[in-house]
Amino acid sequence: MTENQKKILEMLSQNKISAEDAYRLLNVIDAEEGKPESTVRVEPEIKTKPKYLRVTVLPNAEHEGATNADRVNVRVPMSLIRAGIKLTSLIPSDAMDKVNDALRDKGINFDVRSIKSEDIEELVEALGDLQVDVESGREKVKVFVE
Amino acid sequence: MKRPPMLMHLRFNTGDKKIGLWLPLFLLMPLALVVLIILSPLILIAILVLWPSGWGKLALMVLTAAWGLFCSIRGLQVDFQSHNEWVYISVV
Repeated sequence: MTENQKKILEMLSQNKISAEDAYRLLNVIDAEEGKPESTVRVEPEIKTKPKYLRVTVLPNAEHEGATNADRVNVRVPMSLIRAGIKLTSLIPSDAMDKVNDALRDKGINFDVRSIKSEDIEELVEALGDLQVDVESGREKVKVFVE
Repeated sequence: MKRPPMLMHLRFNTGDKKIGLWLPLFLLMPLALVVLIILSPLILIAILVLWPSGWGKLALMVLTAAWGLFCSIRGLQVDFQSHNEWVYISVV
């Protein structure tokens, strides 16, 4: 590791520069020093916040009769999902107990009262990696986030 | 503050009938505001009367949550096609 590379990594660790800038500077140094690109660079993952939840149901082209299959394309804004989850705070405590009892009967040991706004943000961020692909018969179902 | 939706595009095709509508939600907003202003004394009195029992606070939270929900539907798109029928709803 050269001195310049060490300096860049120090600046990154002190938050003087962002990961993107560090990556760019390291590449510039490599180009100036004429080093071959044999070192492994981990590209900084720029995770954008998920904006929409998409559900698509499309005909499976490989299946006979797929042309008559239903098509569904739904795009739900994440803000709507957040607002919907926040509505749980409006449920009266009596109804909340009934909801918790019903969940427990189904084997889900979860208290709806414990949902906080920080948890919603964490849940929405986690949904960013969600991808479901189901292929069955005439249809292909996809659930993903964009 | 989130911006409320401006337009709603509706298209329905039920085989023999085809309907396409552009609903200008931005025109409905001033009307709703006028109605709200007219009814606001009654709403305020109702909230104050219900406040000691706890229902007033709930009513106020429901109003704010309903507004938040309404503003959140911007970008909603539903497209459903089945044989000769299709339904398309888009909120801009």
